[in-house]
Amino acid sequence: MKKLIRNPLSLFGFALLIFFIIIALLAPVIAPTPERHKHEPYRIPRYGWQTTPTPPSKEHPFGLTQGQYDIFYGVVWGTRTAFFVGLVVVGSSCVIGVVVGAASAYIGGRTDEIIMRIVDVFLSFPFLIAAVVITCVLGKGLDKIMIAMVCFWWMNYARLLRGNILQVKEEEFVLAARAAGVSHIKIIIRHILPNTIFPVLISASMDLGSVVVTAAGLSFLGLGAPEGYADWGQMISFSRNWLLGAPGEPLKYWYTVIYPGAAIVLFVLAWNLIGDALRDILDPKIQA
Amino acid sequence: MLSYIGRRLLFLPLVLFGVTLFIFIAMSFLSPYQLVSSYIKSPDELKNQSLDDLVKKYRLDDPAHIKYFRWLGNILHGNLGYSRSANMHVMDAIKARFPATLELTIFAIIPVVLGGIWLGSISAIHHNSPVDHATRVFAIIGWSLPSFVFGIVLLMYFYGVLGWFPPGRLSTWADMIVLSEGFIRYTGMNTVDAIMNREWAVFWDAIRHLIAPTISLSYLWWAFILRITRSSMLDVLNKDYVRTARAKGLPENIVIKRHVRRNAMIPVATVAGFMVLGMLGGLTITETVFDYKGLGLLTATAAQQLDYTCVLGTTMFYGVILVVSNLVVDILYALIDPRVRLD
Repeated sequence: MKKLIRNPLSLFGFALLIFFIIIALLAPVIAPTPERHKHEPYRIPRYGWQTTPTPPSKEHPFGLTQGQYDIFYGVVWGTRTAFFVGLVVVGSSCVIGVVVGAASAYIGGRTDEIIMRIVDVFLSFPFLIAAVVITCVLGKGLDKIMIAMVCFWWMNYARLLRGNILQVKEEEFVLAARAAGVSHIKIIIRHILPNTIFPVLISASMDLGSVVVTAAGLSFLGLGAPEGYADWGQMISFSRNWLLGAPGEPLKYWYTVIYPGAAIVLFVLAWNLIGDALRDILDPKIQA
Repeated sequence: MLSYIGRRLLFLPLVLFGVTLFIFIAMSFLSPYQLVSSYIKSPDELKNQSLDDLVKKYRLDDPAHIKYFRWLGNILHGNLGYSRSANMHVMDAIKARFPATLELTIFAIIPVVLGGIWLGSISAIHHNSPVDHATRVFAIIGWSLPSFVFGIVLLMYFYGVLGWFPPGRLSTWADMIVLSEGFIRYTGMNTVDAIMNREWAVFWDAIRHLIAPTISLSYLWWAFILRITRSSMLDVLNKDYVRTARAKGLPENIVIKRHVRRNAMIPVATVAGFMVLGMLGGLTITETVFDYKGLGLLTATAAQQLDYTCVLGTTMFYGVILVVSNLVVDILYALIDPRVRLD
């Protein structure tokens, strides 16, 4: 922990992360929900109906995007959406992946072969396409996106862990433990997992950023929450229509992409910086 | 080794069966009325019959296993149904779009892999020096840039301001040449076809349209390859046999080349395999951002309009292609690392 704080990069990552946590927690204070839809705070308030975005002003510091949705409000409340999606998807997938991967590699033989074929089937789809299929048949929506992502996110953890265990499984300390009559569960938990789970934890910690990006990407494709929901991906998909600007003013609508874009980039950056430093610290082999 | 390959080949049909099963299960979430839409090509067909008649006519209310085998038979005959969003048969749409996606993947893969390995080696060799930190920060920023944000910013600047790299696959004038009778479509890949037809202007135009998506893809995936190369090289650098190699007085560059990099490439190879798969899927977003008319954009458009037939059809196609390439990756993995012989 000390080393994480001493490393300037991960410190910056932590600072960013804390910043986002504060924004998520204080969302109702930072961007108060207007009285007219108090009961659904995740709906971005609109200030008009015309399509063309309105530049930043005093009342709307980040401007109004297509359809006059308030960008500032969307970015702030979108932080909550991002945390929620990321934690749920990574947490569920990690548990599934570790259980499947450890079981498969440790048991080995035919069981391993069968489990890995099943993993193959899951892996054989490009993740996004699979998620698109599931979201498409279940119907659009953020919850559907999360279900779809968990279904197709766990395999990498399983496979990564299995690969590591296969390499460690035949090493002396495992053989010694087995010869000493230690029970299988104990061997896995005490001897194998501590030597193999780091890459899994690291990739899981890094993935929190990627999960949020992917979920936003699915929203960007138009499969996410209904229009006007506080969601970064959707706000960026609006800005796609405005990347050309007006004649003579090519960057006229910059605020439609920069603010939600910066939010998502910084959010992911925070996770990636921490994940990166974490690996160096947790891996005793690199410290030499 | 041969028996390993043989065993994997034997499993191929099983995995393909799994793929079809997944798609079929996905389909079973849809009601017969939703499914019937894939058979209707124009509203005229609804004039004299109700939807119930159509459901009966196409026997969509049959039990699941009968439907499954009928559907499988259709697929084996290359019939994936009719896509409303693309206004043509799904198979035709795939044939038209797949070369575009393949072209972009091939075009992007070389800078991605080579650049990533290069950056990763530099970073590992200069471990904990300013060079290392700079490369890592560069890569982490790239990894944190979602393609739909970076892509839009690239377009805003290079297209909106400078006018260099337009979205799409070809400019209108080049499209006219490509679609004209004199131009023979050998592969469907614009760059290759342009060379074979000796249309250098078209070739240049196709390249111009490929550059922006390639930049976007490369920067995103560099970080990925760099990370893996770096961490696995650092792992190997601390191994006993590297210390031995140094102790017996081998020059540093031989140690790096023969002992470190080769062993460090094992995880990189696996990951690069996954990356190609990921890229083919990730292209959905890149193609949407850059309006690049490949398979990904086809799927994305279909999904937005809830055109199930097209989404499931293209997924079936992806599934088959990727099962095969996954197999190739696994075999390569076993070739590089003899320890991975599953017995």
